Amino acid sequence: MPGPLEGVRIIEMGQLIAIPFAMKMLADMGAQVIRLESTGRLESYRADSVYQNDVSGEFWNKGANFYEQNRNKLGVTLDLSKPEGLQILKDLVSVADVFSENFTPRVIKNFGLEYEDLKKIKPDIIMVSSTGYGFYGPWANFGATGPATEGAAGLAYQTGYLGGEPVMAEIPYTDYTSGEHTVFAVMTALMHRLRTGEGQFVDISQTQATSSTIPEILMDFSANGRTGPRMGNQDSVMSPQGCYPCRGDDRWLTMAVATDEEWQAVCRVLGQDGWASDSRFEDSLSRWQNRDELDALIGPVTSSWDAHELMHALQKEGVAAGAVLDSKDLLFDPHLVERDFYEVLSHQDSTGIPPLPYASRPWKLSKTPAVKGKAAPLMGEHNSLILSELLGKTTGDVAALEEAGIIGYGPSDPRPVRRPSLDEQVRQGRMQRYETDFEEQVRRAFPG
Amino acid sequence: MPDRALEGVKVLDLTHHISGPYCTKLLADFGAEVLKIERPGGDPTRRMAPFLNDEVDPEKSLVFAYLNTNKQSVTLNLKSAKGIQVLKSLVEQSDVLVENFAPRVMASLGLDFEALQQINPSLVMTSISNFGQTGPYRDYKAADIVEYAMGGLMYISGAYDREPLKHAFNQAQFKAGTDAASATLMAMYHQRLTGEGQQVDVSIQEAVATGLRDVVNNFTYTGAVRRRQPNHSGDLSRIRASADGHLTPNPGIGAGLNWDVLVEFMELPELADDKFNTPSARLANAEELGQIFDDYFINQNKYERFYAAHEKRFIFGVIQSPEEVMADPQFEARNYFVDIDHPVLGTLKYPGAPFEMSGTPWDARNPAPTLGQHNVKIFGQRLGHTPEQLVQFRATQII
Repeated sequence: MPGPLEGVRIIEMGQLIAIPFAMKMLADMGAQVIRLESTGRLESYRADSVYQNDVSGEFWNKGANFYEQNRNKLGVTLDLSKPEGLQILKDLVSVADVFSENFTPRVIKNFGLEYEDLKKIKPDIIMVSSTGYGFYGPWANFGATGPATEGAAGLAYQTGYLGGEPVMAEIPYTDYTSGEHTVFAVMTALMHRLRTGEGQFVDISQTQATSSTIPEILMDFSANGRTGPRMGNQDSVMSPQGCYPCRGDDRWLTMAVATDEEWQAVCRVLGQDGWASDSRFEDSLSRWQNRDELDALIGPVTSSWDAHELMHALQKEGVAAGAVLDSKDLLFDPHLVERDFYEVLSHQDSTGIPPLPYASRPWKLSKTPAVKGKAAPLMGEHNSLILSELLGKTTGDVAALEEAGIIGYGPSDPRPVRRPSLDEQVRQGRMQRYETDFEEQVRRAFPG
Repeated sequence: MPDRALEGVKVLDLTHHISGPYCTKLLADFGAEVLKIERPGGDPTRRMAPFLNDEVDPEKSLVFAYLNTNKQSVTLNLKSAKGIQVLKSLVEQSDVLVENFAPRVMASLGLDFEALQQINPSLVMTSISNFGQTGPYRDYKAADIVEYAMGGLMYISGAYDREPLKHAFNQAQFKAGTDAASATLMAMYHQRLTGEGQQVDVSIQEAVATGLRDVVNNFTYTGAVRRRQPNHSGDLSRIRASADGHLTPNPGIGAGLNWDVLVEFMELPELADDKFNTPSARLANAEELGQIFDDYFINQNKYERFYAAHEKRFIFGVIQSPEEVMADPQFEARNYFVDIDHPVLGTLKYPGAPFEMSGTPWDARNPAPTLGQHNVKIFGQRLGHTPEQLVQFRATQII
């Protein structure tokens, strides 16, 4: 069944997450996304976190994060430093609905790929640029990754343990925040084009998108001139709210208590009659005022519980509680599995990667579901297909382009990132543990 | 008047708190006509801090004011038969209904998708909930911290040797709100092409779980379970303390980085060593490298290093306080913060467009509505109820 975006063609000149993530979501819903890559400047996600940490052979077709961000796309390599390569890109734009990219404006201007240029080729093109700080302005050409924009936006400043220093996510968090807004932006522009036939330029500032999600912080400063303290896991109204230790190595439970009834339920489940009648905790205001004492009491009691058992026990009594899921818990979470959140994708035999489950989407559309998933392309996998079917090139033309190094099937300078052994990564603390029978576990749970 | 991108899209907004209102704010700010249905006591966000001058007042919640720009507000008691009847007549006139009640609530009000579709076959109904409309946890309660935990982001966030830590405030809800706005427009795109409506199920847990890196795929690719990272993890984009704050001294990504240039920039000859000059070597000697970075940056000024680094095209970042964010020259050049005049709050600066569109501008044409501000306009003028009927509605607590 076609997705709702069947018939929309997107040319993607993306890298890493911000644009590739957003275009993946659109590809899932039926858009044809043609992902352009350079053989000269290897996308780092192709060369890192490869299957079984094995960097032998065509490692550039084994990177976990490349597969994560590029499913359902068609892959074409192009050397844009050569005029013929750039011309092919423009020819593709001439038959596309959307052109998206996440390079700095300097790069886009050097290639002559600004909206004004593309509009001449395709008058109703929608061009989407995603940059750290926006396409114009004094910081426009400052390169950025997630941590930079999480800091610039004001989110990192406010996040941290009680009385501690700022802390940020250990993933490129704002790539996703901005990527989520990018999906919305493309849909907004497509809705407008459907009604009017007009394209336009969409300028995504990853910082702006992120600042738009923290009104609690920015409105308080704007209206009251106030910068609140870092609150750790505590809430500004609810108490107890926190992350409490459970039985086992590095196991935790979160809970958030809003009402007196919920608090009484917590006391009941944890078997603490004394807390239930303690005047320090008798209503939400007193619990909040005595929240540090409360947190100090709760931890020693939860630490004898299994995190999942305690979550179910508290939820049964109407308390918002959740086990802190590590990567294995998340993969095998019975609720997510029941909802078919993971989608098993087959990889090309040449990669040696078995069928694997990938996180799908946060939405389900009842009448126009996502298309059947296909793994991310090998490097250059669809060179011939796209050049012949879309641009009418002959087999001879394609061979000549390969000969001239305009297209290719592997990096010109193949250098993988070698990760330390898993034992060493556990020693350094980057990994909590590893399980040698993981392939068997994954196969059993996700037979595909 | 400029054309707005979502002109003509009519949204019936039954949402409250954050995720739903952010979804409908995105739609409204880009031109959709959003009618917010509030319970007679108002959206609970009206009671959410911070308030202007700490004055607890349903018209002074700053988060409410931000989340509800460009919407109209009517009050309606959905627990009364008449209230349901009025709602159904509004459904007839709408393209989209967005709600974020607990999954059983709409059905218990007789407002499940099947019932609404009979009234309006082209209706798009978007439901946002903690864990989605199906599955064993569908009735589980949650707060943002629970979504962080169950979405997989919590475990990897925070200090290596402490409890996991969530981001400040309500990030999970904002993610889900954004996703819901996207999914709603996907369904609307289909509706405009075919006339067919449908149901959209958005899960906040899944909104968090789709935004991860090196979590599930660390396990499926290598069997490893990633933990919160130690300070010296070899990741050069980690936060470092400077003399005056914090920054993220990321020299560059992958092959683009010329290590010699960085060594010269930092004036630290000991970094010119095979131990550090390739990505693989830096990972292998992460602890030593991390200590050198810590010792260096603690004596630096964050903005000085930030600007100097960008001259070399390093991708350093700076941690800005709210005050610094609001004085940021980049935001200023882009007019990101906008003045909005509200009848009770007066004129305040609000975060503005999350992105810019060249042809169809984002605009703050109206402030957040006061509670029931549009009752007369909608129930009287649009639905044709007489002034006497409106008095009766009010007397019987339907509005």
